[in-house]
Amino acid sequence: MNQSSHLAAHLDGRVFELAEPDFAAEVEHASGANLAACLQCGKCSSGCPVAARSNLRPHVLVRLVQLGQRDEVLSSRFIWECTSCQTCITRCPQKVDVAAMNDALRRMSREAAKVCGETTVPVFNDIFLRTIRRLGRMYEMGLMTSYKLRTGRLMADVDKFPMMLAKGKLALLPKKVRGAAERKKLFERAGRAGGKKP
Amino acid sequence: MSYVFFPGCSLEGTARDFHQSTMAVAGALGLALPEIPDWICCGSTAAHQSDPLLALALPAKSLAAAGGNTVVACCAACYSRLKTANHEISKDAATRRKVAEALGHDYDGKTPVAHLLEVLVRDVGLPAIAARIKRPLEGLKVACYYGCLLSRPPEVTGFDDAENPTLMDAVCKAAGATPLDWPHKTECCGASYSITDPGIVLDLTREILSMARAAGADCIVTACPLCQLNLDMRQKDIEAKFGEAYGLPVFYFTQVLGLAMGLAPEQLGLKSLVVDPMPLLAANGVV
Repeated sequence: MNQSSHLAAHLDGRVFELAEPDFAAEVEHASGANLAACLQCGKCSSGCPVAARSNLRPHVLVRLVQLGQRDEVLSSRFIWECTSCQTCITRCPQKVDVAAMNDALRRMSREAAKVCGETTVPVFNDIFLRTIRRLGRMYEMGLMTSYKLRTGRLMADVDKFPMMLAKGKLALLPKKVRGAAERKKLFERAGRAGGKKP
Repeated sequence: MSYVFFPGCSLEGTARDFHQSTMAVAGALGLALPEIPDWICCGSTAAHQSDPLLALALPAKSLAAAGGNTVVACCAACYSRLKTANHEISKDAATRRKVAEALGHDYDGKTPVAHLLEVLVRDVGLPAIAARIKRPLEGLKVACYYGCLLSRPPEVTGFDDAENPTLMDAVCKAAGATPLDWPHKTECCGASYSITDPGIVLDLTREILSMARAAGADCIVTACPLCQLNLDMRQKDIEAKFGEAYGLPVFYFTQVLGLAMGLAPEQLGLKSLVVDPMPLLAANGVV
C-alpha cells in the first residue's frame, strides 16, 4: 500500500487523496490546533452532537484538512453545524483542538467566499457583532428583525413573539451603555489585526 | 471576598427571570453583587467564530473594569468567554500584547471569574445555604442540566468534573429536592442555532427532554439562558414535529433555590417560564 492511499479519506463514496500539502499548516497556524497529532481514533466524532446529522464527522474533517482538501473543507456544511460545544477537545486523547480548528475554518471559508449556501450563520454573526459594536450589548429585538430582513425568513418563529412579549422575555428598547467612542476604537483596532489568531 | 456581577446580555432580555431570581437569592443570602459599570457583551459565539482577537478583547474590557474583584457570571456562555479570555491572555505574552493594543491598555488576564454555582457551593457553602431553607422541596425529582460551557474544556473553566459535574446537584439537594443521576447533564442543546438552524436545536433538545423524562424527572434545572430557552420554548415545536409532549418545566437553579428559601414565585420570575411550573409546584406542596 503506498502512502497516499493509506492516508486517503473516504466520504460519500468518494476517495480523497493528498491534494495541497501546505493547507494543514495554514489551518494549524490560523487555529493553534496541533492537527498532526490526530490519531483518527474517532473519539471526537462519537461525542459530537451534530455528527449524526451530517455527512462529515470531526475526525474525517481533520483528515481532509491533513490531505489539503481545501475546497471540500471550506465549502462544507459541517463547519457551520458545529455548535462549539467543546466535547471534541475535552475528550481528545491528543488534545487536538477541533473546536478551534472549526473557528479558523469558518473564517477561512468566508475569506475564500466558499461558505456553504445552506447556512445563514455568517449573516447572524455579522448582525450580532454590528449590534454590539453600536450598542455595547446585544439587543434581541433588533437582532431578530435585522436577521429576518436579511435572510427573508420572515415567518420563522413569529408565533414566539407575542408569547415572549407577554412573558417579559423581550426588552423593547436597548440599554444605554457608555463608552461608544472607545468601543468603536476597540473594534477598529481588533479589525486591523486582520482577524488572525493573536 | 468581594464580587462584581457580569449579568450578560441575555439576563437583560430573554432571561430576565434568571436576573431577577439571582438578585432575590443573592439578597436573601446577604451576597452583594453590584454590576460592573458599563460592562459590554462578551462577544459570544459570533465573535469567536469571526475574529479571534475581538473574542478576547471584548471580555477583557469588562474584566479589566472589575477593579480586582471576583467577576460573577450566571450565563454559561459569558462565563466561558470570560474564562477563555483569561486563559489565553495569561498564558501567552504575545496574545496579551495584542489584546492590550486592541483595548488601548494592558490587561493581565488575572481577574478571577466564577459562576454563581461556584460561589454558592465554594464560597457561601452548603451549610449556610441549608440554614436558609424554609420550604424544602421534598419529593421534587430534578434533572440538573449543565450544558456545554460550564465544564468544557476543563483546562479553561476549571468548573467541576467535565463529564459529571455535581455543583448544581448539590445546590438542589440543599434545597431539599432530589437530583437524579442521568446521562445528559452536559450534552449540547444546540445553543444559538435556535435561530439559524432550528432543526439542530429541535433534535438535540428532544434527546435531552426524552432522557430527563426516562430518568423520572419532574422538571429540568438549568444554569444557562440559552439552555433554558431552548429546552423550555422548543417543547411546543417538538410536539408539533415529533408528536411528543413533554410538559417538563425548565427552571433556573436560582428559581429552585429561591422557592426553597421561601421566596414568592413573583420574586423569582416564574411567570416567564413557557411551560407553566405552577401545577407541579402545587402538587408538591411548594406553592
